[in-house]
Amino acid sequence: MVDNIAKAEYWNSRFAFVMAAIGSAVGLGNVWRFPFVCYENGGGAFLIPYFVALFTAGIPLMILEFSVGHWARNAPPEAFKKIGKRFEWAGWWAVLVPFVIALYYVVVMAWCFSYMVFSLDLKWGSQANKFFNNFLGNTGSAEIFGTISYPVVLGLIVIWLCVFIILYKGVNRIGKIVAITVPLPTILLIILTIRGLTLPGAIEGVSYYLTPNFSKLTDVNVWLAAYAQVFFSLGVAQGIMITYASFLKKKSDITNNAFIISLADAGTSFLAGFTVFSVVGYLASSQGVGITDLGIGGPTLTFITYPTAISLLPIAASFFGMIFYIALLTFGIDSAFSMVEPTVSGLNGKFKISKAKATGYMCLIGFFISLLFTFGSGLHWLDIVDHFIANFGLVMIGLVECIILGWMYKLSKFRIHANKTSDVKIGIWWDFLIKYVIPLALCILLIIAIINNITNPYLNYPWWVVIIGGFAPCIAIFLISFIFMKIKSTKEDI
Amino acid sequence: MGLSLSAVAMLIFGSVVLYGGLAYFLYRAIKAK
Repeated sequence: MVDNIAKAEYWNSRFAFVMAAIGSAVGLGNVWRFPFVCYENGGGAFLIPYFVALFTAGIPLMILEFSVGHWARNAPPEAFKKIGKRFEWAGWWAVLVPFVIALYYVVVMAWCFSYMVFSLDLKWGSQANKFFNNFLGNTGSAEIFGTISYPVVLGLIVIWLCVFIILYKGVNRIGKIVAITVPLPTILLIILTIRGLTLPGAIEGVSYYLTPNFSKLTDVNVWLAAYAQVFFSLGVAQGIMITYASFLKKKSDITNNAFIISLADAGTSFLAGFTVFSVVGYLASSQGVGITDLGIGGPTLTFITYPTAISLLPIAASFFGMIFYIALLTFGIDSAFSMVEPTVSGLNGKFKISKAKATGYMCLIGFFISLLFTFGSGLHWLDIVDHFIANFGLVMIGLVECIILGWMYKLSKFRIHANKTSDVKIGIWWDFLIKYVIPLALCILLIIAIINNITNPYLNYPWWVVIIGGFAPCIAIFLISFIFMKIKSTKEDI
Repeated sequence: MGLSLSAVAMLIFGSVVLYGGLAYFLYRAIKAK
């Protein structure tokens, strides 16, 4: 979908860009992460902060990132360097965080890959929870490593190979792939939602999902989780949208595209919530327990609810199950390669490493690091890394972007740039959000959440686990960003 | 057990804002072509 014109690449059409950006934004963040984050943060109580975060931070930041990418016509490190040489580190930070997310994101995709095979004979039977833990060899603790799950390793090899092949062939293949991978999973999600809603007890689950518990609105962690989920799901504060927008042609619309992509993404999450919570209601009702007493949650939630919903389909359950997991994989693959692409583009721009070579290196490094999550304790480590990288890594990048672009550069330049080519014009309100509202909100949330996490380690994990799985990746990314900035750019192609 | 009034309000709000908003911006995009 992008043409190679001299050294520059451009999307062929607006449709191609919108589909690719939706493909990048809509992924496992919507169908896997949103439901469990929502469940953990009080169901309906989470939706209010989620909508607030979407409209006050998610969409304005997406417009900002599109403007920056379209204006700079470069990957985030080079784009931030164009804004000011001393800000290059922020660009590196923004591309390294999604790469770390990709390391565990592909593991969830590897689970989906195995479940696609399991769907053939609905191998999980009537006890999806027990089956999932056996499949992972879950040790029940982050401290007991256990053994490697070979089916997950096989899945990892397949997924990393797919990411490599797609990126190796160049971004011009992305548009063709997403033309199929975006609509198909949505249709299947609708089918599963209809089935879920017709189950006995589904209404209790939906009620938990939609009923706002206003007392939860005073909990800072719920607000932080909402902002983190919006950033994770939309792909903002990850360098992805800057990279994608850099491939846009000069006269491309920015603002309207940002609204379409953001609303399509949030709409998918909202729909996935109905699928998962209707099954949660069914499970609670069939076990005669309350929704919050089910004993499931975290990253495992959707690997219990979706298989249950599939098993309960009246006809062709195996067929729909397999198609659903293929769909999940296709949903995820767009996001997976979009998380690796900014790093590859960054290395290409700074060190002139050919995109093919950079893709090879990053996929290989990524594969070996991902193996850490295939052990029996992998699920717990995945949960810890996800908690810290999303809640702190992404939110901090959002904050840094607002400070650099809002306070250390002429922000109105980006508003004027976006308005020049966009059908929907943005006003001063956008500047106000980027300069004051988002930084203030994120600053307060981060300070309180950091204090909370120091006084109460996440899920009461031992300190060494929290430091290695939580703080270390965040600090490592921060340091590497500065090292990359300090290294001089290579002038000749490698 | 049915949905409470606040749950119905959330359902309507979410659907109108997200899907209505998406339809509106898609319409604007098609019209702009």
